[in-house]
Amino acid sequence: MLSRLNPLTTLAACGAAATFTVAASNWPVSVAVAVAALGAGVGAGVLRRVLAASAVILLPLWFSLLVLHGLFFPEGRTVLAGWGPARITVEGLAFALEMGTRTTGCVLVLLLFSFVVNVPDLVATMTTRRIPPQFGYVLASTLTLAPAITEQLARIRQAQEARGLVLGGSLVQRLAAARLQMVPLVLALIQDAAERAHALDARGFNSPGPHSTYREVADTRGQRTFRRAVLGLAAAAVILRLSASWFGVPVLPSPLAGNE
Amino acid sequence: MSQQSLTLPAPGAAADKKRRLLELLGAASIAATFIFLVLAQPSDITNGVGSASTLLALGGFLLGAILLILGVLPTLPTSTLVLIPVALVLNIALGQIMGTTGLPFYFDAIGTVLIAVLAGPAAGAATGALSSIIWSFFNPTVLPFAAGAALIGFLAGMAARYGLFRRFYLAPVAGFATGIIAGVVSAPIAAFVFGGTSGAGTGAIVSAFRAMGDTLLAAITKQALISDPMDKAIVFAIAALLVYALPRRATFRFPFVRRFNVLAGKAPVAAS
Amino acid sequence: MTTPVLDARIESFTFHGETAPAVHGIGLAVQAGTLTSVLGGAGSGKSTLGRLLAGWLRSDGQLRGRLSLSGDGIPNGAQRLDFAGTEDDPRISPAAWSRQVGYVPQDAAAMLSRIRSTVAEELAFGLENRGMDRDNMHRRVADVAAQTGLSPLLDRDPGSLSGGELRRLAIACCVILDPVVLMLDDPLSSLDAEGAELILDLITGLVSKGTAVVHLGQVAGRLFSQATHCLVLDGGSVTAQGMPAEVLLSGGLAESGVVVSSEELHHGHYGPEAAAPEPAYGSPAGANRVSPGARTEASSLSFRNVTYSLPIAQGGQRAVLTEVDLDVGPGQIVAITGPNGAGKSTLLRHVNGLLHPDRGEVLVGGAPIRGKSTGAIAADVGLLFQHPRDQLFERTLLREVGFGLDRLFGAEAEVRAIQALEDVGLANVASAHPHDLPASGQRLLALATVLARQPAVIALDEPTVGLDRHGIARLQTALDTVTLRGAAVLVVTHDLAYARTVSQRVLRLRGGRLHEL
Repeated sequence: MLSRLNPLTTLAACGAAATFTVAASNWPVSVAVAVAALGAGVGAGVLRRVLAASAVILLPLWFSLLVLHGLFFPEGRTVLAGWGPARITVEGLAFALEMGTRTTGCVLVLLLFSFVVNVPDLVATMTTRRIPPQFGYVLASTLTLAPAITEQLARIRQAQEARGLVLGGSLVQRLAAARLQMVPLVLALIQDAAERAHALDARGFNSPGPHSTYREVADTRGQRTFRRAVLGLAAAAVILRLSASWFGVPVLPSPLAGNE
Repeated sequence: MSQQSLTLPAPGAAADKKRRLLELLGAASIAATFIFLVLAQPSDITNGVGSASTLLALGGFLLGAILLILGVLPTLPTSTLVLIPVALVLNIALGQIMGTTGLPFYFDAIGTVLIAVLAGPAAGAATGALSSIIWSFFNPTVLPFAAGAALIGFLAGMAARYGLFRRFYLAPVAGFATGIIAGVVSAPIAAFVFGGTSGAGTGAIVSAFRAMGDTLLAAITKQALISDPMDKAIVFAIAALLVYALPRRATFRFPFVRRFNVLAGKAPVAAS
Repeated sequence: MTTPVLDARIESFTFHGETAPAVHGIGLAVQAGTLTSVLGGAGSGKSTLGRLLAGWLRSDGQLRGRLSLSGDGIPNGAQRLDFAGTEDDPRISPAAWSRQVGYVPQDAAAMLSRIRSTVAEELAFGLENRGMDRDNMHRRVADVAAQTGLSPLLDRDPGSLSGGELRRLAIACCVILDPVVLMLDDPLSSLDAEGAELILDLITGLVSKGTAVVHLGQVAGRLFSQATHCLVLDGGSVTAQGMPAEVLLSGGLAESGVVVSSEELHHGHYGPEAAAPEPAYGSPAGANRVSPGARTEASSLSFRNVTYSLPIAQGGQRAVLTEVDLDVGPGQIVAITGPNGAGKSTLLRHVNGLLHPDRGEVLVGGAPIRGKSTGAIAADVGLLFQHPRDQLFERTLLREVGFGLDRLFGAEAEVRAIQALEDVGLANVASAHPHDLPASGQRLLALATVLARQPAVIALDEPTVGLDRHGIARLQTALDTVTLRGAAVLVVTHDLAYARTVSQRVLRLRGGRLHEL
């Protein structure tokens, strides 16, 4: 369902939700955004991948925040427990909670975008929007290159083992082996890239003027209106927050309504 | 069928003005954001979450990075452009591996430095910024560091231009200096956007400074001054080793390498 | 005769940072609707010439000479560009030039943008960049796909194509821009007979439609015999030219590294598999049991009942090797052939423990290798891979061959390294960078790194691919030397003719079993 939307619509919605989360900086809002992102992930059938990718990022972050602010928060006044320099304070825990939920909300909503968006559609849309084609190239090429490089590295490792390179052993030995694998990898990548550059140039990649797209990406009036609305909402939230901080305008005390 | 000219006009400066302006605006946006953050609101963060500083840090740095990309990317020759995805994959792969070791290093700039040495400061800056933006597809938390990554690429390119990659022992020195600057610039992001760092090693160092009573920004800046120079010194040294291992035909393809004699001693003086 | 569509005179072209020119003193004029064949061994400069004419080397070196194009699509009907090797030289616009002169590199995958998700979009890439509107683009893609036999593949992911399909896609990506001259670098290399036939038909079709096709290659085969004009390159300059029949008798061709295949010339069949007689199969029960007479008491390498299968989708298994028995004695060479995808490389990877059999055992020098690491087995077994580039990591040839030798031979290491380089004929370039060598040189260098360690067993995966005549001769000398010394050699190749010349004993891998030929 989500993946059939125009990629710009998904991008606008997720970007706006992340901006809104930061502007609100209020843990109930952050939690609401995170839950909404997970709900949308269920709907799009990408929940498992979003959870797996976010766990790698968020678990170390939460651990680090809780240890850092939970134990060492010199500004804290309400001490719950203390061992020498380490003191558990209410303020420290609250700060960790606030920061952690905010990042969690943003990470989940942005990863949802990554897993839902159809990259070829996104690249085609960017081309029609006159974004330099180079950007689309770098994006799409990085995504296809990553698995290819993994494969190439495995091949290099096999070839070198067959030459008598013993992998493993001490850290120094492993580092030396890593260097020997890096060299042919980087050489091959740079030489392949040079070849590809010529081919791209010959196929007119660098020519000035508008580029067209073979792929047709659907867009609707409703989606265009929706994009304008969410981006406007996010801008309003940012302006409200900045003016609150500079001119002392009171910020709404309760969490604002969800972004959906 | 239209009859296109078979040759290109001599390189002119007219069309480059707009690009230069974008680059300057990008750099200015990054610099202004940094100065504002450091001077105006140093203590804001731990009294409440300080969402205004977060928004400013994010907005100013990201805007700067995007302007830099828009300014530089269309001017890069295709031979440099195709290296950027390669650099990104190297950055991401090594960065991910290092992230799992728990050591207080990042190692996420080897590809960026490699491009900077071969193709110059502008290409390095664009690669650094793009690296963060595209990496954020898999890990959104690196997005706010785009400006810092651009700065690393730019400084590596400058180091190459002024001959610091001609001798192997100079490369880590350049890396050390780059690390100091990059660390100081990136610290506000870690402080204002994330309220800390996510690595176990870096987290422990920040905790130690906090235990001594430092403010969060000060603690993270000090941590960055411990980790970043070492990290960048190693990264520059690795990049230098890789560049030295390249065959001459590969490096001499880059006009930047030929023009500024970036890898002296590796080749006879090329007739231009 | 009409005016040639492309008329080139290359005084010299020198890569940046090098002193000797890569090509010099070459004149080439091609007419519309003809096939021209440029032959040369490894490092003869034929690829450099192709790239140069296609405008692919604009920023890689200095060109002196001139390039002239004429025809309807050219401003003023004709244009001549003069290059003096200075900053003021004309700068070729690659996008405009490629509509006149197209070039398809030997590595077809390099032609693809790799950023498009279907064959159709990959084909359209060159049109998109010219801003062609979508309807015209769809029509043009359909036309060219029909012409190149890609119509059934339009919705496939380009990454999933076979070697032959990929080659056709790369050519189609060029053809879609409708160039007047199309240069194809070794378009038939490493294709099986069926794949080669399709490419040959495609080339014939293009020539009859008026394209000037230039074939660059190191085998004087069918494309050569069909050409109207031929050029032989050696050491960067022309050593023979004329009609194929004249060139065939010339001294220039005889001295060059070009492989002349009489079979291919006379029977008009390209591809060793097609030329080979169908083997007569014995009874199925005995077929996979290689005759016991070949088994000596002290085999250097033995496979005992080796069975290996690959997991496939839905938890199934595909048998690649089934109860394979094989013995190679000291001083013996055994060759294994079979069509693409028969599992030849899989078999070879069992020799040094990169793959482990599901059942059965592999023995080296009589001892089972199960449980030993590949790095340790490498002391007794040298394996040469299909992509020699992956095996090379040092800065000079000498360091490359000498890597790790000091642990084996101590002070003698350097002598051994130089000896190994001499064995493959590379001692004169010992201080060059391995990656600056042409592909055939890299293969020979990788062979030298294996030979220098003096293993008891040597296993080679497709050793002749990319080798020119000189390279094949050196390979043969090296193999003679090591077998004389008592090493056992196992060669895997799709080239049956080569298998027969290199070995008395040729086995065929088919359906996961070995059959005596």
